[in-house]
Amino acid sequence: MKNVLKSVLFIAILIGLIMGITCLLLPKESIYKYGLIKTSTYEILREKENTIDAVVIGDSLIYSGISPMEIWHNYGYTVYDMAKSAQLISDSYKYFQVAIASQKPKIIFFEANVLYRQAKNKPWLSVWQDLYKTYLPILTYHNYWKKYLFNNLNDSLYYSRLNAYKGFKYINKSVPGTKLDYMHEKAKVEVPKENQEYFQKIVELCQENAVKLIVISTPNMKSWNYGKHLGAKELTESYGLKYIDLNIGNPLDIDWKTESRDAGSHLNFKGAIKLSNYIGEYLESTEEFSDKRDQEEYDNWDEAYELYEKLLLQ
Amino acid sequence: MSYFSSLYYLAFLPAVFIIYNLFPKKVRPFILLIASLIFFYTYSKWLLVFILISALSIYIAGKLLNKLINEQNAEIKDLELEKKKLVKEKYRKKKKLILLGTILFNVAFLFYFKYLGFFTNVFNNLLSLFKFDSSFKIVRHLAPIGISFYTLEAISYIVDVYHEKCPSENNFFKLLLYLTFFPTLVEGPITRYNDVREDIYAGHKATYDSFCFGYQRILYGLFKKMVIADRLNIFVKMIFCDYNHFSGPLIFLGAIFYTILLYMEFSGTMDIVIGSAEIFGIKLKENFRQPFFSKSISEFWSRWHISLGAWFKDYIFYPVSLSKFVKKITSSLKKVFSTHVTSLVMGGIALFAVWSLNGLWHGAGYQFLFFGYYHFTLILLANIFEPYVIKICDKLKINRQNIFYKIFRIIKTCILVFIGEMFFRANSLASGIAMFKRLFTHFSFHRFGHYVLTLGLDIKDYIILGLSIIFIFIMSILKEKNVNVREELSKKNIVLRWLCYYALILSIIVFGAYGDGYAPVEPIYADF
Repeated sequence: MKNVLKSVLFIAILIGLIMGITCLLLPKESIYKYGLIKTSTYEILREKENTIDAVVIGDSLIYSGISPMEIWHNYGYTVYDMAKSAQLISDSYKYFQVAIASQKPKIIFFEANVLYRQAKNKPWLSVWQDLYKTYLPILTYHNYWKKYLFNNLNDSLYYSRLNAYKGFKYINKSVPGTKLDYMHEKAKVEVPKENQEYFQKIVELCQENAVKLIVISTPNMKSWNYGKHLGAKELTESYGLKYIDLNIGNPLDIDWKTESRDAGSHLNFKGAIKLSNYIGEYLESTEEFSDKRDQEEYDNWDEAYELYEKLLLQ
Repeated sequence: MSYFSSLYYLAFLPAVFIIYNLFPKKVRPFILLIASLIFFYTYSKWLLVFILISALSIYIAGKLLNKLINEQNAEIKDLELEKKKLVKEKYRKKKKLILLGTILFNVAFLFYFKYLGFFTNVFNNLLSLFKFDSSFKIVRHLAPIGISFYTLEAISYIVDVYHEKCPSENNFFKLLLYLTFFPTLVEGPITRYNDVREDIYAGHKATYDSFCFGYQRILYGLFKKMVIADRLNIFVKMIFCDYNHFSGPLIFLGAIFYTILLYMEFSGTMDIVIGSAEIFGIKLKENFRQPFFSKSISEFWSRWHISLGAWFKDYIFYPVSLSKFVKKITSSLKKVFSTHVTSLVMGGIALFAVWSLNGLWHGAGYQFLFFGYYHFTLILLANIFEPYVIKICDKLKINRQNIFYKIFRIIKTCILVFIGEMFFRANSLASGIAMFKRLFTHFSFHRFGHYVLTLGLDIKDYIILGLSIIFIFIMSILKEKNVNVREELSKKNIVLRWLCYYALILSIIVFGAYGDGYAPVEPIYADF
């Protein structure tokens, strides 16, 4: 019994210390406004409020395929990936809420692959990762010690500058995909009922906040098919929303031999450049966004790009 | 599931600890076996079948050998010496057949998974050298995790049974546990059946103390890997992938950093392995003994990856040096040359066999073979020149026990080790040679400081690295002086103890090189 008490006390003190250090390392304004757990869970809360033009919400297809820094460098628009491995639509809904509350983006892209994922299919490894990322936020933010120990922590640019990937994950290996006829004719696959209900909530949330919602299917040879395309198309069109499927006819000219990191499941960096430029071009075509590269308020994005370039070299 | 993943030390290990304690003593080894098989499965999935087949072959061979030994002992019980010899010879042949067959069977698995690609490549190179037009397709297979480790353990078991150094195991599942025990499965140490069988099958109660002690050791390993090795990895990768752009001193710094990285990664893993086993009351032998305090290369190899060195000594060096072939050569040499020369040749042949296999064991590539022969040459040269060095020192009145002379020898050994590891890490033998050449042909300190601070590590990283390495260095000195830091710490009051634990945990969490911009070192020895 004595040992159990000792262990409980040890862990309690440890949690206290970890929480204390986390509070020291995270942006205080965000902790004050959104709370510690929320600030650590949603990386977008590191960004200055109302500075993001567009947000992309989805699963690993998004963080592998869209690099906001490429869009910034080539078009001057601020895009943020709010993506999580094996994201469930219930999580997506929370992401929408956070994005809209903190940033007020004009457009939110939503990866259609999430429409088909059900809780029971979620990989256990991703459940574990979510768990400790949520409750041990310091694991995500620990590198802030460099600034804390050596510089002025009140430097508001710092949080944005450090977050150079803006939700993107750089992976540059290449494993060719071979299932080239993955979009052959197939019967429609219905979006699961529960997910349809969540999707309705997302649509309503966007309408209430005047955010344009675009559903997108990014190139994905492994888990996407023509049946899912039909199901997603039917659902989005029933709400009068725009649906883009980049798997039909390969409009990005993805070379699956060299532009996938894992035999067709996800794009690699080479593929991501193509997809990012597509998003940039699309935003340009809407004529709703201005080029912010020369604006002083967005200096931190230039700094982030410098760091991004360095990280790519590693 | 790597030993460094949070899933291992925060979920898997505590879960096994709890389940293990829920069962009675007799069942506990089987809980460890199930945990080990699950652990293996997370890495290699259905390649598990191969380890089962391998273990079954070893089990059957052990039983057969045991049966023959019993029959032989019964038969020779009341015989005269001459007749005893005849009977023993009859059984020796049978036993040897079983032994060699089993070893070949298991080595064939290892060859198939690990070396087939390399040797096909060598064969194709030979064909093209002799202007043959044909070549064979190079096939590479995904090997079961830890195959090089458990194959050596399997061989040591069957050879020891053959030599009657240990009894054969009657229970297949117990033998399987010895071969697949999850803490040692991926990166060793290569345990001997005799050393672990009592602990591993005892089903010791995993206590609060064993849990705490085990986790202290695990934390120490995590610190070495996450704070030091993973941080150095950034610089090392840059230098080794793009060595053509860097000067000699930078390449040498890369080699030094890589050697430190390798030590921190591998010895850190061993801390986790030994700590994990300690939780279940199983004491494993140390695999490192402060290798950078070595005064010669042979001493270095008696302190680095000790279990591998000991395995090669017992199962390759002695059998080769005591073989009929080597004995024949030495007896004819003795007639012409001095004892020193004869023993050099005898040891040289055995050393050559050891280092050829040692190089190959480390990897299927020419650079690994070179790595082996590099150390063979250094040890042989040291053996040749040692008497002359002693004579010169005596003449010059240099005291070999003098601290400065010892430091000189330690530095010399370290430099030789750095160069060896440079070849080991190089992407190919050609890259290794090119890097070695650049050490001299591009020897310049122009923009040295600039590169040191821009190749992924900044001044803050160097401060953390410096402090961490000093901490490990102090711990190593204490260990070298036989001070058991953990025991000493356990005698201190609870406040001081807990402060130390918190400091270690928080420094791993805060200063660990993980997350954005850091690519952790892959478990280097897991590939062997």
